[in-house]
Amino acid sequence: MAAATGTYEIKNEHGEVINTSTGLSNKKLLMWSFLGSDVMFFGSFIATYLVYRNRSLVGPYPADILDIPITSVSTFVLLMSSLAMVLALSYIQQGRQKMGTFWIFSVVVLGAIFLLFQVYEFNHFGQVGLTPRTNLFGTTFFILTGLHGAHVTLGVLWLIFLGFGSIKGSLRADNAIDLEIAGLYWHFVDIVWIVIFTVIYLISARDVGPPGSVPGLH
Amino acid sequence: MSNFWNKLLYHEGRGWWDLPRTQWQDPNPQMEGPFGHGIAPIKRTWEIITAANYHHGTPWFYVLIGAILSIITIVEVWAFTWETLGGLLIPLMLVLSIAKFILVVGFFMHLKFDRKYYAWIFTACMIIGIGIFVALLLLLEYGNQTQQ
Amino acid sequence: MQTTHPGPSREPISLSFPRIIPRPKSEYGIWSWISTVDHKRIGTLYAVTSFFWFLVGGIEALLMRVQLSQADSTLIDPEMFNQLFTMHGTTMVFLVVMPLSAAFFNWLIPLQIGARDVAFPRLNALSFWIFLFGSLFLNFSWLIGDAPNGGWFGYAPNSHVAFNPTNGMNFWVIGLNILGVASIAAGLNFIVTILNMRAPGMSLTKMPVFTWMTFVTSVLIVLALPVLTVALIQLQVDRLYGTHFYNTAAGGDPVLWQHVFWLFGHPEVYILILPAMGIVSEILPVFSRKPLFGYSFLVFAGVAIGFMGWFVWSHHMFTVGLGPAANSAFAISTMAIAIPTGIKIFNWIGTMWGGSIRFSTAMLFAISFIAMFTIGGLSGVMHASVPSDAQQQDTYFVVAHFHYVLFGGAIMAIFGGIYFWWPKATGYMLSEKLGIINWLIMLIGFNLQFAPQHWLGLDGMPRRIFTYAENMGWENTNMIASAGGFLMAFSVLLFMINVVYSARKRVPAGDDPWDGRTLEWSISSPPPHYNFEKIPNVEHRDDFWFTKHPELIAEYYHDEHSGELTAPSGAQFDEDAADEEDEHAEAHAEEHHGDDEHGHGGIHLPDMSYYPIILAAGLTIVGAGLMTAVPVIIIGTIVLLWGLLGWSFEPVNDPVPDSH
Repeated sequence: MAAATGTYEIKNEHGEVINTSTGLSNKKLLMWSFLGSDVMFFGSFIATYLVYRNRSLVGPYPADILDIPITSVSTFVLLMSSLAMVLALSYIQQGRQKMGTFWIFSVVVLGAIFLLFQVYEFNHFGQVGLTPRTNLFGTTFFILTGLHGAHVTLGVLWLIFLGFGSIKGSLRADNAIDLEIAGLYWHFVDIVWIVIFTVIYLISARDVGPPGSVPGLH
Repeated sequence: MSNFWNKLLYHEGRGWWDLPRTQWQDPNPQMEGPFGHGIAPIKRTWEIITAANYHHGTPWFYVLIGAILSIITIVEVWAFTWETLGGLLIPLMLVLSIAKFILVVGFFMHLKFDRKYYAWIFTACMIIGIGIFVALLLLLEYGNQTQQ
Repeated sequence: MQTTHPGPSREPISLSFPRIIPRPKSEYGIWSWISTVDHKRIGTLYAVTSFFWFLVGGIEALLMRVQLSQADSTLIDPEMFNQLFTMHGTTMVFLVVMPLSAAFFNWLIPLQIGARDVAFPRLNALSFWIFLFGSLFLNFSWLIGDAPNGGWFGYAPNSHVAFNPTNGMNFWVIGLNILGVASIAAGLNFIVTILNMRAPGMSLTKMPVFTWMTFVTSVLIVLALPVLTVALIQLQVDRLYGTHFYNTAAGGDPVLWQHVFWLFGHPEVYILILPAMGIVSEILPVFSRKPLFGYSFLVFAGVAIGFMGWFVWSHHMFTVGLGPAANSAFAISTMAIAIPTGIKIFNWIGTMWGGSIRFSTAMLFAISFIAMFTIGGLSGVMHASVPSDAQQQDTYFVVAHFHYVLFGGAIMAIFGGIYFWWPKATGYMLSEKLGIINWLIMLIGFNLQFAPQHWLGLDGMPRRIFTYAENMGWENTNMIASAGGFLMAFSVLLFMINVVYSARKRVPAGDDPWDGRTLEWSISSPPPHYNFEKIPNVEHRDDFWFTKHPELIAEYYHDEHSGELTAPSGAQFDEDAADEEDEHAEAHAEEHHGDDEHGHGGIHLPDMSYYPIILAAGLTIVGAGLMTAVPVIIIGTIVLLWGLLGWSFEPVNDPVPDSH
């Protein structure tokens, strides 16, 4: 995708872009601007979640349903995938192709594990009675984490694409920028999860609904 | 940055705003900052911690950052189970997650090593985003009389 | 992924994706337009498409004016009237003013900054095709008789499925989301283009004001459109899948939509007007034969508007009951934003002051922009006062206000821009005689229509009513307004006649018919597809003008700090880069620009591609599928993936066997 928006970048022997006015890579500038745009996207959803926090009229409420230990594990998995990503980039940039490929596919696997956790969580919530249609908490929770999951899915697909490129040898040290922007995207998805984990899970996991609300599952 | 505004405001200027030359137009003004030289030791410590003199992190450096991130996550989950925190929970969680955020953005996304341009872009977007959404939350929390 | 570019040695890569259709090669005919990645052609496509929607939106407005021209009229029923004003607003904002501005961005930005194309040519094509399909999708609702009817702001829960069960708002929600993708892609593209593709020597402070305003607009687009996207997604899942974001029965907050929408909506206002301000800032100095007065202040004011525009949104909601503290804060910030706007107006007047003015059509449009925009701005400041706004909210006074800024402002400037740059784009002149008549009738018609609406509004006539009773005393004023509307329509007709007439007459324009100032006038009209045979070296603001009139350099520019007349050219591309101790990168860059100057052999332009239109079609099919059936989504996804993969594996330039 962005890997092939195709611009006329000319690099010196150190892989630095030298034909733009700022000396910055077009693709990287595009990706950072896009991430700025995505800040507003997730910011709006997180703000919506916070506005509706503790305003569901019926249960289940976060305290009834959120499972901190499991989500901590999936958070840890996503953090480690970020670490794998930065290692992959480091190795590709050094020209150590095999290590690079290994770490790219590690990111893919860790991302997929994170997604499996999310699928499990969504399934589980559905079984115990929280769907996007149940209450405001369900609506805001599922749409926010679901769209984050969609971002992760997109990142996984992108990295699979780049991983095969690395095997075939079309992703190399001299165009490691393609991996770098995918990495920026991936890390951004990770920091969004850092915020979501804090806001939805850690901060509001003890919420029992508005005063006088209908009791939840308990 | 100051150079940029200098250029923008005084670029080969000739007009009614052509004010007398002031000290801040000097090409290399003394950068004292609000605390004078008082923060030099802190700055030095920060530089040592963040490996500021390296242009790229080594793999082991990234592993170290990953370990710090994991530790912070563990602390978060542990603090969450700590019932006595009470009202301190939310500020503590915010501080810890901001720390994680900065570590990932600064080192994994290379903002610390990279050209400052990228950092400005991202920071500017974060400032506008945080500014308007905090304002929105305040408005809906305290301003909205129709909710009562 | 595998761009082959004239960089350090890169052998061709064997990885490939089966090509179902061959790469387009034709330079002429419809397929060359469909597969084009040339910014000038894309600009033309934007202009033609959005002008078409301008006519559609205008017809919608005329229907409403006919209905309102007399009391108790029964020509249009209330449901139809709702659809008309909703689609008129949506069309004019998203399908006319924004893409017409985008047409100017596309045509002018690479020319003004001395580049051969935008940073991401195929992404640019993608933006256009998504825009086209999105606009068709939105207007397709007319064909099934179910157009959106919830206002261009789509206030929830009024637009919620409980109160608005027809399909219209689904079209609106999904259509605007599709259009949002196009806008964000274009915005990102222009941010990168303006930052990265400037000719040597063109620092940020030497950029033309239009380029600056485009930059600010692009930043606003990139940051504001996601907020709209979020609001639309929330409404979409509410409407289609029964979630509760805006379902008041489940505790949803009716005020939240207003906040989120206007968080986007107010920056959007500046997205609409800043390009117009940029256009006017280009026209005025040329026809005053004087450099722009207070360049720095104009730029600074534009940036300040772009920033402050984020913190005024609640002035659309003064009557909601946000409480005195919030209302006062937003009243103050709204009044404060008039300051940078006022700075701009004084700078434009200062530009004309003492100049030897030529009253060409473009200049007349630009001057009437200043006047009309000032009137609209002043009525805007009236709304900033909370008690006054409480009186004016939802009346025709507001309608008059925003038409003064959006038609009297944005559209006037855009027409001025068309008359100004038409010779550059086509190579021949538009008739000035017809042009001046066009301008005069448009100005008279516009004021005839919208000035009386101030009185109507203060007299209490509400917006969005489909008719009114006979004894309200509004008939005469409404009749005048409707007559003005038809006069405006006639002026647009005159413009089209002018286009046809000039196309037949073909008065050659020459490269520089107006004694222009910026780089686009230094090349032939119409520009060659590679724009600049030699990438120019920029030394001054208005570099081309000072190249033509070197004797004026000393008069207008002196560097009192160093005593030199001019800074050495190209010594710094950019202040910010210079701050970061990498002069060597710039030195390399300059060497490279040197390489490019070996004539055509050094010019590398991207090859044409079908994938942007395929990708855009896939996205639109997915959007349509969200409303209809899952199989459609699957088909759309397949097309989308085809476009995405084909795009990724397609090199920007097919390797030429005997190149270099």
